[in-house]
Amino acid sequence: MEADTPRIEEYLESIYKLQQEQHPVSTSRLAEHLKLSAPSVSEMVKKLANKRLVNHTEKGVCLTDEGSKMAKRVVRRHRLSERLLTDILGYKWDEVHDEACRLEHAISPQMEERIARSLGNPKTCPHGHPIPDKDGVFLKEKVRRLSELKAKEKAIIVNVFEEDPKMLQYLASLGLIPDVSILVEEVAPFGGPLIVCVSGSRYALGREVASKIKVK
Amino acid sequence: MALSCHGALREIKGSTDFTFALAGNPNVGKSSIFNRLTGMGVVTANYPGKTVELNLATTNFKELRIGIIDLPGSYALGAVSEDQWVARRAVLDCKPDVAIMILDATNLARNLYMLIQFIDLGIPIVAALNLIDEAQKRKIIIDSVELSRLLGIPVVKTIATTGSGLDDLIQKAVDTAKIKEDIRYSLHYGEDIETNIKKLEEKLRPHDFGINPRALSIMLLEDDTEFIDLVAKHVNGMSIIEEAKKISREIEELHGETTPLRIARERHGLAGSIASQVQGDVAPMASDKIWALTTSPLTGMPILVGVLAVIFSFLFYGGDWLSTFLSSKWATYVSPVIDGTVFYVFGSGHIGKILVWGFDAGILAALAVGIPYVLTFYFMLAFLEDSGYLNSVAFLTDRLMHKFGLHGRAIIPLVAGAGCNVPAIIGTRVLATMRERTIASTLITLVPCSARTAVILGAVSLFVGWKPAVAIYLIILGLVFLVGVGLNKIMPGKSTGLVMEMFPFRAPIMSNILKKTWYRFKDFVFVAFPIVLFGSMFLGGLYETGYLWKLASPLSPVVEGWLGLPAVAGLTLIFAVLRKELALQLLVTLAMVMYGGGAKNLLLFMTPAQLFVYALVNTIYIPCVATIAVLGRELGWKRASGIMFFTITLAILVGGIASRLIGYFHLL
Repeated sequence: MEADTPRIEEYLESIYKLQQEQHPVSTSRLAEHLKLSAPSVSEMVKKLANKRLVNHTEKGVCLTDEGSKMAKRVVRRHRLSERLLTDILGYKWDEVHDEACRLEHAISPQMEERIARSLGNPKTCPHGHPIPDKDGVFLKEKVRRLSELKAKEKAIIVNVFEEDPKMLQYLASLGLIPDVSILVEEVAPFGGPLIVCVSGSRYALGREVASKIKVK
Repeated sequence: MALSCHGALREIKGSTDFTFALAGNPNVGKSSIFNRLTGMGVVTANYPGKTVELNLATTNFKELRIGIIDLPGSYALGAVSEDQWVARRAVLDCKPDVAIMILDATNLARNLYMLIQFIDLGIPIVAALNLIDEAQKRKIIIDSVELSRLLGIPVVKTIATTGSGLDDLIQKAVDTAKIKEDIRYSLHYGEDIETNIKKLEEKLRPHDFGINPRALSIMLLEDDTEFIDLVAKHVNGMSIIEEAKKISREIEELHGETTPLRIARERHGLAGSIASQVQGDVAPMASDKIWALTTSPLTGMPILVGVLAVIFSFLFYGGDWLSTFLSSKWATYVSPVIDGTVFYVFGSGHIGKILVWGFDAGILAALAVGIPYVLTFYFMLAFLEDSGYLNSVAFLTDRLMHKFGLHGRAIIPLVAGAGCNVPAIIGTRVLATMRERTIASTLITLVPCSARTAVILGAVSLFVGWKPAVAIYLIILGLVFLVGVGLNKIMPGKSTGLVMEMFPFRAPIMSNILKKTWYRFKDFVFVAFPIVLFGSMFLGGLYETGYLWKLASPLSPVVEGWLGLPAVAGLTLIFAVLRKELALQLLVTLAMVMYGGGAKNLLLFMTPAQLFVYALVNTIYIPCVATIAVLGRELGWKRASGIMFFTITLAILVGGIASRLIGYFHLL
């Protein structure tokens, strides 16, 4: 193992996470996320580009296929470590993040598989995020829009894609937040609104609001 | 009458021993409790630019004078909607001695969410566990002693509809208000969120922001723009904001979701765990079978059509009957007295005559609209609101309204416009944004109210035939659709989606409905009367001094040239601004002046085509003064002028085109 590996992994993991919100990722955002100075980040990015782990353009950085695969392996080891800490060692789930950040770079592929097996191949970390398999593939769940559901169908909210922060907060105050189960009670025809039940309350949601809520 | 909030809150605080704020989610029986606690002396106040109002009243309890502030019902204390903003602002401005939180015992977990926000604000709280009878019916038993222990506040079981428990509630509130030392709540979020809140709290503590540092700390972490701005303006403010952002990022990193969402989740979690500790397993809400019929498309639509037909015919026939009745009684009993007095005091010159225009014709105009149409409509609206049926209507019509950039709740005011535009425009308050209210109000001014219908029937249906009369309605319907779609396209902004609670059917309480109706009506009287009065005198002045006739010549290119109407008909249209049916009355009067008594038949005076165009223009162009008055008050004078200008242009355009089409195709 190269001496540089933990640092490389840390970079790849960060770029991987930031790619979910910004693609490609600007080096300044990356520096902010890693709490490092911009010059040292751009130097490291150059190194990663030389290793063909990232593509570096004027707009920013994005992972190559190989870089992405490596990043997902780090994510897997991080989340498995968190599971190990909570399930076996009795940590609380809000204490495990920093420990897992250190462990993730120290675990060999063999140990990784042993941990996974002894934990019973968990599908999610203690925070509920999915753990990719050893080839870096996330278990695909059929995610649909709430607006696609039929009357009497039940689902769990995965995410709410609403750009307006006020609306997002309003929905949150009503209990429309990820991981909450939701029952569609009635659907008005011709693209009309839906009546849904969430934690004991009944709401009518317009179709455009419902289409921003992803469920599984 | 709407007072400014600051003044009204200060006054009520100054003149009473204690002030209590009533808070709660919508439809938990809060206004019933408010009505039970207070008498008729309620004042409403609003913050500049906000339409959601506060009700304030005083009451006597034992030897104490107590001020009660009825906060708007809302689901949370954020700033994401006007009701939330007003509720929060009022609590922060007034600093009530106690906040009385009304909880719905049938839906405890959701109701506790806002209670936890009040606890975060650090103000003394007493909770009323209301609707306890409904909860019992649904076999929900709540351990109120345990709830009180967990929350660290007094909890009183109440039934607002019978008044049970209310004395105890106020007694507990008074006891709580008398405790002088600072309250300490023991409710906490998760370990790391708490640590972070405290970290930020310490930074805030040395400064005075006029709000409890813990509350402010939470609101900064919740990304509340209003309080971020407040802190940012302060010296050292920027460094605190930076710190808040840093902490917020850490929380985000740890939990994989944004901090506001995390806090909302923890609050829900806390609310849910408290609720589950004090009540047994709550069976999932049984859907109200009959109520479900009103939202199911197959049965809901026929029910909706029926209800709208009842509203419409009630306003149309009932209102019309009342209006005629009032007018005739006024003419027999009141009018002679007013005229006699005015002429006696001011003589029968111009001044006397102008005053008669205002105090006789003007007040009658306001009354003839006000009592028959506005009052009855408010009554029906209050009934629909309190029963919860309004929400079913909104659900069913959301799709259609969406085409106009509105949502389902707009349908009731739009239909009500066919009775009278005035209450309909006030009714647009159910819409959240100014954009929606502007679109809805513009469409309402196009809807032929009963007065305009009288002109269509009296001029077109009677003298030309029923088919052209129906054609006018179809043209208007088409225009409403086009204007709605068009405004939605050109007006900046987007329509907000529909998010609305569907609460179970509750039998409305008559006293609540009557009070609600009365408060709204009082509001209408204060707005409309002065403007109708002075508008009448102004027009009267034009008429009495003869200036009116001079207006005929500048108008003639439009009236005669473009619309193809006789010039005098144009003048009657100006008068119709006072009351739309005046157009017809004046037309007949003028015809008789010019052609003698036999000219009651308008066809001696105008062709069928002219009568058609006349009625069409009268329907579309500028609404009556009472409508203009509410438009100005509800939307501001800039938007009101915009709507007036738009409708005049539209009327002239459509009237001219109709005139040409009829001529070209020899239609009439």
